[in-house]
Amino acid sequence: MISMQHLAAILPQLIIAFGVVLLLLLIAWQRSQRMIQILSLSILLFALVASSQLLSIEAVSVTTLLKVDSYSVITFMLIAFSGLIVTLLSGQFLKQHIEVHDEYYVLLLLVLLGAGILVISDHFASLFLGFELLSIALVGLVGYVREAQHSVETGFKYLILSASASSFMLLGIAFIYSQTGDLSFSGAALAPDAAGAAVAVNALNQLTAFYNVGILLFFAGIAFKLSLVPFHFWTPDVYQGAPTPVTMLMATVSKLAMITVLMKAWFSQSLFNREDLVQLVLVVAILSMLVGNMLALKQDNIKRLLGYSSIAHMGYLLLVLLVSSKQGIAFAWQTALVYLIAYVLATLSIFMVVILSESKSKSESESKPSERASGHTITFASWHGLFWRDPALASLLIIAILSLAGIPLSMGFIGKFYILSHATVMALWLPVAALIAGSGIALFYYLRLIFVLFAQDEKTTHSAISLNPLAQFLVIIFAILGISLGLYPDAVIDFLPKMNGLR
Amino acid sequence: MLTVIMLGLFIAGVIAWYGETVRQHSAKWIALFGVLALALYFVVSVLVQAGGDLAGYLAQLTTSVRAPWISAFNIEYALALDWLSFILLLLTFFLAAICVLVSWCEIQTKAGFYYFNLLACIAGIVGVFSAADMFLFFFFWEVMLLPMTALIAIWGHENRHFAAIKFFIFTQISSLLMLVAIIAMAYLHYEQLGRLSFYYPDWLQLDIPLDLARYLMLGFFIAFAVKLPSVPFHSWLPDAHTQAPTAGSVLLAGVLLKTGAYGLIRFVIVLFPAASQEFASVASLLAVVSILYGAKMAFAQTDFKRLVAYSSISHMGFVMLALFSFNFIAYQGAVLTLVAHGLSSAALFCLAGMIYSRIHCRDLSAMGGFWHSAPRMGGVTLVFAAAAFGMPGLANFVGEFLSLLGAYSTFPIIVIVAAMGLIGSAIYGMVLFQSSFQGSPTVGLADLSKRETLICASLMILLFIFGLFPSLVLDLSLAAHNTVSLSKLTPAKPSVQLPRQLSRQLPRQLSRQLPRQLPRQLPRQLPRQLPRQSPSALRQQ
Repeated sequence: MISMQHLAAILPQLIIAFGVVLLLLLIAWQRSQRMIQILSLSILLFALVASSQLLSIEAVSVTTLLKVDSYSVITFMLIAFSGLIVTLLSGQFLKQHIEVHDEYYVLLLLVLLGAGILVISDHFASLFLGFELLSIALVGLVGYVREAQHSVETGFKYLILSASASSFMLLGIAFIYSQTGDLSFSGAALAPDAAGAAVAVNALNQLTAFYNVGILLFFAGIAFKLSLVPFHFWTPDVYQGAPTPVTMLMATVSKLAMITVLMKAWFSQSLFNREDLVQLVLVVAILSMLVGNMLALKQDNIKRLLGYSSIAHMGYLLLVLLVSSKQGIAFAWQTALVYLIAYVLATLSIFMVVILSESKSKSESESKPSERASGHTITFASWHGLFWRDPALASLLIIAILSLAGIPLSMGFIGKFYILSHATVMALWLPVAALIAGSGIALFYYLRLIFVLFAQDEKTTHSAISLNPLAQFLVIIFAILGISLGLYPDAVIDFLPKMNGLR
Repeated sequence: MLTVIMLGLFIAGVIAWYGETVRQHSAKWIALFGVLALALYFVVSVLVQAGGDLAGYLAQLTTSVRAPWISAFNIEYALALDWLSFILLLLTFFLAAICVLVSWCEIQTKAGFYYFNLLACIAGIVGVFSAADMFLFFFFWEVMLLPMTALIAIWGHENRHFAAIKFFIFTQISSLLMLVAIIAMAYLHYEQLGRLSFYYPDWLQLDIPLDLARYLMLGFFIAFAVKLPSVPFHSWLPDAHTQAPTAGSVLLAGVLLKTGAYGLIRFVIVLFPAASQEFASVASLLAVVSILYGAKMAFAQTDFKRLVAYSSISHMGFVMLALFSFNFIAYQGAVLTLVAHGLSSAALFCLAGMIYSRIHCRDLSAMGGFWHSAPRMGGVTLVFAAAAFGMPGLANFVGEFLSLLGAYSTFPIIVIVAAMGLIGSAIYGMVLFQSSFQGSPTVGLADLSKRETLICASLMILLFIFGLFPSLVLDLSLAAHNTVSLSKLTPAKPSVQLPRQLSRQLPRQLSRQLPRQLPRQLPRQLPRQLPRQSPSALRQQ
């Protein structure tokens, strides 16, 4: 039976689902860009407030499909927060395009709903539901701005690859079902409760090939979304071609939801006991760290660069999957959450600056039609000497880049410290070496970017970016947040579920 | 007190940055006053707390602040002070003032932000020398790096971005290795004592299994060897030094390199005594290669700053050789070399900056005959070059002599080879002086201005003071030796002939102290010590 308590546990998701309906009604009643933006903002705020009530929740299973625990509440809050920022910034972005914008917000909320379902799903069916909701809505968003340069190409690329990833995953789920007869995460681990742990491990060793292939395909589907290395080819193109707020959404919400659901499925099936799967994750993680960083080295387009660097970041994050026993799970979750918070903050900050500079360069090129053809891509050159023109914006950017690079004073360092701690405790020396090498490579392009901000020669004609008060407020808030969380991470860590042991 | 100083430096930096936008040329005054006032505050408050017995107060590591910082990992904000950090902090403050004075006219663009970076870097260095929590240490280790990179990248010379990136990546990768070692140590503490700890005095209680200690030691060693720098990791240094603005070079050579040596002394040797003794043969080999290679490369340079940079590699080799010989005399020599090299290399970089500001090039082949137009500058250069190649009477001589003397008992052959480095240093020192100040005059040069005279004179006086009265530094370390922290080093042999400056005090003190401390220390040390050394120590007893 579903009781009030169960409804309360999924209230945030319900609010968003209800909000989508409200938005549709509003569109039918009156098409007003401003109103619909405000409505979606308030829906997200409500969802955020509702989920903040759930922070200290005990794990609750809502039917067999969903399971709300404090980890998923935190990731959902992060998702809603990212959605909030994306919505705020989309308004500015959409003003410069001619499409009808109402459906944009509906799609955006659908993406968030999909992500929200993903993070609380405890069953392959709900997982697939969330996965598809998120992917299909994202496809709509990726190709939303029709007259943009790469719009159609990007949309198609994402659609086709995303669909094939989904079908891989569906096939994998079917294989798993064929062997276990159960689609819930804990049940699919071959009924350990009946026979006890020893028998379960024994049974795991005797699993048939179909089960293994199923897990492999499932992992491939998720890995595609996380753009881990053998499945990473779409990332830079789609990052570059999609409208920047959508890229922002992809870089934060989609990754957050996918890694969370992967961790949930992985831990509740105790897949970390499987030597072969651990090897697979190790290889994928190490490859992602190295390849992602190396490909980012020579990029000139900021969005492409961020695409590649996100590959590396997901590679770092994948290490949390490797725990040695059930006791390590709490610390793995904490590691993942701290790292995700740092990553999301930094990514949001950088994309915020990209959006603000884009709108600036766009309003400049309006007056000069000759430049219109060249597009409004933000490259290294467009940020040349930004620090001297606009210290606030550049400071935010520097904090965010340092955070991504994992340099102290920033939250990103705390995240990297957690990952390194986790890896050290688990004695994963090879990934540690790869992580250090990857960070070294990454520093090269991060520093190059920072130096561009400090470049001095005044030959460029950019004037200062004039910000509206809202953007200014956001910039300052994010800069302060980035520094203060780096200096005093307890402010965040105290919110996370307490761990009761280190390994 | 130390917290106030760090915050003070940082705030002074912010005020300087802001002040420059209000009124031009105000930043340098603010920076100068900030540094001087905080230095005064530091000295006075240490003296007050010591209450007359400075050496006794500083003999042991005294923790002044301890507050929880990141509770999830039991990380604390803990600062501590002992004689070693005290000496190095004084050096830092002195060179900070020199740095501000050196940049007085050199920095014309973005001066406010420049002084902010300079002061932030110094604040980070103060933190490195005083942190007692290893996470905090690492934090400051990186904090001092960022502004330094900015100094090189923004106000450096023609190839500055390359140099800055190289500098940053070298130090960053090596320090990540150190971070892994730090984390591993903290978890070792967790395994042995049931709770995480990054607090340095806690770590001293740990019993580290030797096979693990080897790897941990290596993690720390690489980080510090990059900073020092020692040979396989040295290649960032010539680029960074050459491209940095004058104050950047002064800070790099004078203080930043010393953080590497400080780390070796405080962490590598003290935390992992057995593992470092095993490693000593490799380390001494690296050291001697650094000495000779640095000297050889310095000789081949035509760039003034590059020459001095390579000479730094050579000098730091002496420090490493001395530290890994596990001999108390060598150890004292190493500390003295740190101070002396900080002063003399800083002085040479100042001179390079002064010459550059006059002729806008650093190429030795374009110089020559400056003596005719700038005799005072020539005299000063001669003194500093003489200091660099270890002329008796100047501080470097005592330091390097003691290092070699002490190390001889452990590595006789290596020391003999290393001593050739001294000859090399005399050669490149003379090359430096001859090609710039002697020969036929090329261009006329304005002589030292009042500000420059002040810089040179103060550096010169200090070099003489420490050269003639090395006991100023040595007494502090000797007092510390009597208490605890260095008990892991084997005591010096009384039969070793001591140089004249020291014969006044060392034998007297050593003979007085040895009987007192040995019986107390040996029983505790013996199980940890290598068989090679314990018999000789026993025989003395």
